Amino acid sequence: MRRAFILLRRRLIGSIPVLLIVVIGTFLLLEAAPGDAVDAYIGTTGGDAGLIESLRQSWGLDQSAGTRLAAYLWSLAHLDLGYSVTFSRPIRDVIFERLPNTLLLMGSATALSFGLGSALGIVAGARPGSFRDRFLSIGSLALYAVPGFWLGLVLTVIFSVQLRWFPSSGIETIASGKTGFARTLDIAQHLALPVAALGVIYLALYLRIMRAGMAEVWRMDFVLAARAKGLSRRRIVLRHVARNALLPLVTMLGLQSAAMLGGSVVIESVFSVPGLGRLAQEAVSSRDTPLLLGIILVCAVMVIVINLVVDIFYAVLDPRVGASEEAA
Amino acid sequence: MSDFTISRRGVLAGSALLLASTALPGILRAQEAKKGGRLIVAADSEPRNLNPAIVASNGVFFVASKVVEPLAEASFEGKDGLDPRLATSWEGSSDGLTVTFKLRENVTWHDGKPFTSADVAFSALQIWKPLQNLGRVVFKDLEAVDTPDEHTAVFRFAKPTPFQLIRNALPALTSVVPKHIFEKGEIADNPANTALIGTGPFKFAEHKPGEYYRLERNDKYWGEGEPHLDEIVYRVLPDRAAAAGALEAEEIHLAAFSAVPLADLERISKVPGIEVISKGYEALTYQLVVEINHRRKELADVKVRQAIAHAIDKDFVVKTIFLGYAKAATGPVPQNDPQFYTKDVPTYAFDVAKANALLDEAGYKRGSDGTRFALKLLPAPYFNETKQFGDYLRQALAEIGINAELVNNDAAGHQKAVYTDHTFDLAVAPPVFRGDPAISTTILVQSGIPDGVPFSNQGGYANADLDALIAKASETLDPEARIALYRDFQKKVAEDLPLINVAEWGFITVARNTVKNVSNNPRWAVSNWADTVLET
Amino acid sequence: MSFFRRFSRSPEAVIGASILGVLVVMALFAPLLFPRDPLSIAGPALLRPFQDWSLPLGTDRLGRDVLAGLFHGARTSLAVGLASAATAIIIGTIVGTLAGFAGGLTDEALMRITDAFQTVPGFLLALAFVSVIGPSLFVVVLAIALGTWTGPARIARAEVLSIRERDYVASARVIGMHPLEIAFREVLPNALPPVLALSSVIVAAAILTEAALSFLGLGDPNRVTWGGMIAEGRTVLRSAPFLSIIPGIALVLTVLGVYLAGEGAVETTAVRRGRS
Repeated sequence: MRRAFILLRRRLIGSIPVLLIVVIGTFLLLEAAPGDAVDAYIGTTGGDAGLIESLRQSWGLDQSAGTRLAAYLWSLAHLDLGYSVTFSRPIRDVIFERLPNTLLLMGSATALSFGLGSALGIVAGARPGSFRDRFLSIGSLALYAVPGFWLGLVLTVIFSVQLRWFPSSGIETIASGKTGFARTLDIAQHLALPVAALGVIYLALYLRIMRAGMAEVWRMDFVLAARAKGLSRRRIVLRHVARNALLPLVTMLGLQSAAMLGGSVVIESVFSVPGLGRLAQEAVSSRDTPLLLGIILVCAVMVIVINLVVDIFYAVLDPRVGASEEAA
Repeated sequence: MSDFTISRRGVLAGSALLLASTALPGILRAQEAKKGGRLIVAADSEPRNLNPAIVASNGVFFVASKVVEPLAEASFEGKDGLDPRLATSWEGSSDGLTVTFKLRENVTWHDGKPFTSADVAFSALQIWKPLQNLGRVVFKDLEAVDTPDEHTAVFRFAKPTPFQLIRNALPALTSVVPKHIFEKGEIADNPANTALIGTGPFKFAEHKPGEYYRLERNDKYWGEGEPHLDEIVYRVLPDRAAAAGALEAEEIHLAAFSAVPLADLERISKVPGIEVISKGYEALTYQLVVEINHRRKELADVKVRQAIAHAIDKDFVVKTIFLGYAKAATGPVPQNDPQFYTKDVPTYAFDVAKANALLDEAGYKRGSDGTRFALKLLPAPYFNETKQFGDYLRQALAEIGINAELVNNDAAGHQKAVYTDHTFDLAVAPPVFRGDPAISTTILVQSGIPDGVPFSNQGGYANADLDALIAKASETLDPEARIALYRDFQKKVAEDLPLINVAEWGFITVARNTVKNVSNNPRWAVSNWADTVLET
Repeated sequence: MSFFRRFSRSPEAVIGASILGVLVVMALFAPLLFPRDPLSIAGPALLRPFQDWSLPLGTDRLGRDVLAGLFHGARTSLAVGLASAATAIIIGTIVGTLAGFAGGLTDEALMRITDAFQTVPGFLLALAFVSVIGPSLFVVVLAIALGTWTGPARIARAEVLSIRERDYVASARVIGMHPLEIAFREVLPNALPPVLALSSVIVAAAILTEAALSFLGLGDPNRVTWGGMIAEGRTVLRSAPFLSIIPGIALVLTVLGVYLAGEGAVETTAVRRGRS
């Protein structure tokens, strides 16, 4: 427990400069962009020079970049994400309204690819080199090679337009007044296709790691011993081989969290899911710098937290991990 | 409903009863009476400011026009193409200095307060004139609004202002908002800019960002027996392919503003229960225009501009890019405009040989690689069609030895590059014709407009003759004389080509055939939908 | 046993290599077989495949030749994939080598920057970068590299850390070589192979990212790319599905080929190293 705590403290302190780099980098990127929030706004509505000037003034865009960055960092230090001019609302509210949707989408997709991937990995790795192994490996790779948006479009045409099993877009039936279990079911139904599209793609990763891990464990002494003891193959596979191959999978889980977030941008846009990814796209196109900064910050914190959890999980499981950090 | 769908459903019901019972959209469930029901329509954007008195744009009107009404609405049959809304009559004085509106009686705001001339005076002086994107031009000389009684508003102008212009501006520029709500605090920060309060047939109920807007029936609406619908829900579907799928899956009833891509119309028109309607956008004509940067020495030569005009196969553009849902343009005023259009202008037939000859004549011979000169082409990102036309124009220019490099920017980048920094040679723009050239057409040609103003002449074109003509027309009171001046304007523009008008188009509505009274006025998508009916 | 014989023993690797071979041939011969600009209008719009033998795979919304697009698209997809991977590996290796070799504060600073890039979703970064700078092939390549250089950087650093204490590095120090020279002439070449093993994954990811960016309207409008073709075809997905299916299949096969061949190569080298 002490190890885990030290790890936690060290990581939290270490992540501050990382977040600072992220914020300043993103700010500079948007600063270099042609056009600002007023250009984005006026480009859709029209307006004359006086209007443009007064908008720029009231949105604070007439100040220098340095002043604005300093002001942003200052409010950030007070844990205030600032105000979005495109939504006319505090950024915290805008982000936290969308965050659950993205978390739900990502979480379910991760669970799907992790669960199904490792299960199929066990099947494939149980008899390395067999036809079943080859088929699963290449099949999952082929899925990994499919562009996510394309898979999403095809799923919509088949399952919502043709078969009408699932709704084609959205997160829940609009203004349905559903609550409790009915609402949960409704959301699950809306998320089925996007989760499938996002999850199936990353399935290959877990399948392959599981399979590779198992192939390695097969050759280890304790498995040989178990075989010598005459344990059934199924028992060896599940009890010894798969369990030991699980650790690298957990690492992958942490590493993939950022990629999943990226993948959800496209999937959210295909399925009109009001999530963080789509919000980020809107923030970029409306040049809402503080909003994009807020989203990227929240993403970064999420990734850091997920990796921290994975590490703590590791530290608890494997005594060697925390030791070096403690010494450092 | 088609046999096909029924059989699909039959199979579905047999094989997966549970799924079917929960998955088939409950939102379209039967309504017994002709009245009532929830109409669900697709919306592709969520405007930041939903107040139509401040932002007169179609994206805002699409939602807001059901809640906040203008003084008059466009009409197919009405006198001067108008139907009364909050004003019942309007009259201009012969000196062009006053316009008198009689206002509708017994109208209440959604919060129960009565609607009076004070609201009109407040909206005009405090919002349309100083804050509205279009009103700042049309109402620039508005000095005062007298309110002799609760139902009369007299607009007083400092300089003679053509009554014809004011009349043509009524549908888009005169959304009336309540004084008692907006007089407190900063207008820009007023919560009623998003949670609208108006006099319209529907009340603003809620907006769930990224998901939907919901409007509710206004039981106290002044229109007798109106509205018919209980609710209108705008479902936010930002992806272009999503609307067609949602319509077919019966998740929405209607998609306006060509939310269903043109290329998909032929197929979807054959889907039983779905109708494709091209009416109802006559007063919302968009124009496909090539903007020219006259600072480029090659493009400052009228022969080069003419050559480019000759190189464009307008017929191809109409047939292939717009799939027939457009018309080839002749000049800066669209053909479907009943007042100002003239076809008596110089035209440029598709003629590659002539275009090449003109360029040779201008002194830009082909180099050893076959190109004469290179330029940057910036298609506006707002529509699929403007981008596709960009792709086409690049090829058309290659045929006459001009090597165009396409630069795609997003909306903000495009606005900055074309209208502020002028870092373009050619740009593709989709300006809107709003029923009168003085509202948003002449500024595409006029010189002396400050940098940064969108949809205006930012190509550095300056023609003293045209400027004088525009100035004269803006203060000519006699409608006939004014029309004559604008006909001359069209001729001169087509002659000198400050910009090239390629095509003009209205949008397409795709709706389930249970929605009735669709497209019954020239601004239907942005009108109040009081008479819209959802049949079951 | 030679590399190639070992490589050719794995059927997956052979399939992958054959796909890549076909792709390279397509890319090389595209300008010879289809000398016209693939974006030029070649016939009537939306011609279905196998109707007109001068346009065997039909035409798109504007009447552009799909087959010509497919061939020229192979060029761009390969170019984007290889260029992004090369850029990512070069940036990553330089950063990783510097960090690992210099140690101390430099290491700390460089690794915090690497952390920062790793915590931001790569696709989000690419999306923001391209929409802000404007889509051109060069920007797309750079954007993809920005999101992928961190993997090579970490591996390079780890390798350098293990190599820098070895004898030949110590002897180079003794003879007075400049530290930078040691880093890039002695250490880097030995740290490179495990980094290069990542290249197939990066190439594949780059091709997919380019496609996703094109789908969101952020592709280079002056070049044909498969992603751009899919995005174009998506508005007519229902009425002319071939327009997005044909380039889609090409894309999937290519990415699969890259994975398979890459894996085969890595496995083959790993076995060889294990034996030596």
